[in-house]
Amino acid sequence: MSNHEPPGHPSAVAVGTGAAPGRGAGPARAAARLLASETALTFRRPRHLAMLGVLAVVPVLIGVAVRLVAGDGDTGSIVAQVAGNGLVLTFTAFFVMLPLALPLAVSVVAGDAVAGEASQGTLRYLLTAPAGRGRLLALKYANVVLFCLASCTLVAVSALVAGLALFPAGPVTLLSGTTVPFAEALLRAGVAVLYASAGMAALGALALAFSTLTENPVGAISATVVLVVVSEVLAAIPQLSALRPFLLTSWWNAFDGVLRAPMDTGRMGTGLLVFAGYGVISGAFAWARFTSRDVTS
Amino acid sequence: MRNGARAVKWGVPIAAVAVVAGVAAAGPVIAAVQGDPSLPDRTARELVADATRKWQSGQLPPMSGTIVQTASLGLPTLPVAGDVTSPIALLAGSHQAKVWYGGPAKVRLMVPGEMSETDLIVNGDQVWWWNSAANTATRVKGAPPDGKPEATPYASAITPQQAAEEALRAAGGDTEITVGKDATVAGRAAYEVVLTPKDAGSLIKDVRVALDGETLLPLRVQVYAKGTAEPAFEVGFDSVTFSPPAPENFAFTPPLGAKVEESTVPSFAHGPHGKDAIENAAPRVVGDGWDRVVVASVPERLTQDMAATADKAESWRGSNGVTSLTDGLLKSATPVRGEWGSGRLIRTKLVSVLLTDDGRLVAGAVTPEVLYAAAAQK
Repeated sequence: MSNHEPPGHPSAVAVGTGAAPGRGAGPARAAARLLASETALTFRRPRHLAMLGVLAVVPVLIGVAVRLVAGDGDTGSIVAQVAGNGLVLTFTAFFVMLPLALPLAVSVVAGDAVAGEASQGTLRYLLTAPAGRGRLLALKYANVVLFCLASCTLVAVSALVAGLALFPAGPVTLLSGTTVPFAEALLRAGVAVLYASAGMAALGALALAFSTLTENPVGAISATVVLVVVSEVLAAIPQLSALRPFLLTSWWNAFDGVLRAPMDTGRMGTGLLVFAGYGVISGAFAWARFTSRDVTS
Repeated sequence: MRNGARAVKWGVPIAAVAVVAGVAAAGPVIAAVQGDPSLPDRTARELVADATRKWQSGQLPPMSGTIVQTASLGLPTLPVAGDVTSPIALLAGSHQAKVWYGGPAKVRLMVPGEMSETDLIVNGDQVWWWNSAANTATRVKGAPPDGKPEATPYASAITPQQAAEEALRAAGGDTEITVGKDATVAGRAAYEVVLTPKDAGSLIKDVRVALDGETLLPLRVQVYAKGTAEPAFEVGFDSVTFSPPAPENFAFTPPLGAKVEESTVPSFAHGPHGKDAIENAAPRVVGDGWDRVVVASVPERLTQDMAATADKAESWRGSNGVTSLTDGLLKSATPVRGEWGSGRLIRTKLVSVLLTDDGRLVAGAVTPEVLYAAAAQK
């Protein structure tokens, strides 16, 4: 695919044209322009659009499956809950997709961020901009965070639409057995989206760090995905349960804290700290590597 | 770029690792720097007497907190997902529960699972057991009369208090009770009462009960097996706040669409150790003190119970974990024979279980020899 793209990379062009007269407009505006062009590029790529399409379809498939099963009388609890209220499908979708589907999509975008430019030979054009490498990396990461937020929101919205189309709506029963009004449940779903996005953003930072290490985007993407899978395998081994709190993957599903009464902020707070820890370390490594490496392509 | 500048740059991620590791280790490090708390000296007898009086008066301070229970009995552990409230699942690994205590008649115990939750709510004369995975609310009949905390066995089944009472009751006269070094549990200074069995046949080295320095509430109970440095069984508070919990915690109405059942005693009351579950199946205790051994007729019930437990867990992950743990246990049993007959022996760090071929089950926190002696007395 990279062969078919013109060598004048759109974002490189945007920087070239934007930076020269933009000196007086302030660095903030230049940064915003660069981020906008990065984001537009990310969300215009057929590959990324296809991925987002899959992410949007999965909740619908879960909803249809539940709808088909729900008639069979005595079914499992989550199935029964989804069948009772469409909004629950949002949480079920996250429960199903957070372990692999969403991380996969985020890895593809973040792992490609720097290595993809390097492999296409557009990285050095980007670096001709007077923005500085550190700022360029920050913009790349901001773009990854936006993608995390967008993909998690997309999953939630798709699940919500499918849920409301297939099942009745109304007050939602939480895991604690407490019933909350629809609006509050919607708010709780919003918190779950933000928490899931934070978890994905931590993985995005890791993938971006891998991306600065190589000129081969597939390498960075697969390294991230392998790490996710290995973490999940390690977490499943009881003898290694001591490792569990230190693995990024163990904290993603803590979003179910929003479904408890009172909301389990303690566990989610720890989860956010873990995400921040992964983000800071990965970010520092990515910065050190990206600002000190020789860019030849 | 010059090598010097490059080296400085790589200092940043190294510093980042150090900072994150520092934050992660902050809790233990701060505790280590602060050193052991020092509480006014009290003798073991005073402590035990004061504590028992406090518990029996029923005037425990309102509080809420997180309890962590860890068992490392040396069982053949296999991935156990499934029903977190199953007594069998509690035998392996680490489990968390939250407790809200507003008074003897206001108790909530919550065991979180992945996308599921089990709650026990005592509110006045109403006792509810809620299982979100099965979508069932069970109204427990025979609600406890007000007043004494002992009257709420369901609520205290796996709390440190219940464990402490059990330990003191089991202790009897053949125990050396001493006060250990003051400990910090859940950020609070605590007395540590050490119960050391005098019986040679016991597998227990000692039981350590940490009592909160201010309220004398048991904050942690650790059971150490002989020859181990880490506790084989531990239940204690991870965090605790002594303030009245919000009243919403104790209000429970079965949600719409949930199955509502009535029962006399919830299966939750089987307690944390499998021993209790077996005790329910059969009622004979041989010996006394720490050498006490439970003798039961081997229950087809045991296997049935396990199958039932497996059926009950209709969670996403399924419950194969529980069955495979049971299978693993039975496979690890070694065939043994002696004057008392023959059978299979399961040994763990803390508990030995003998399944005789004539259909009896002998179990206790004792060496196999004590089990054989108990098996010999018919």
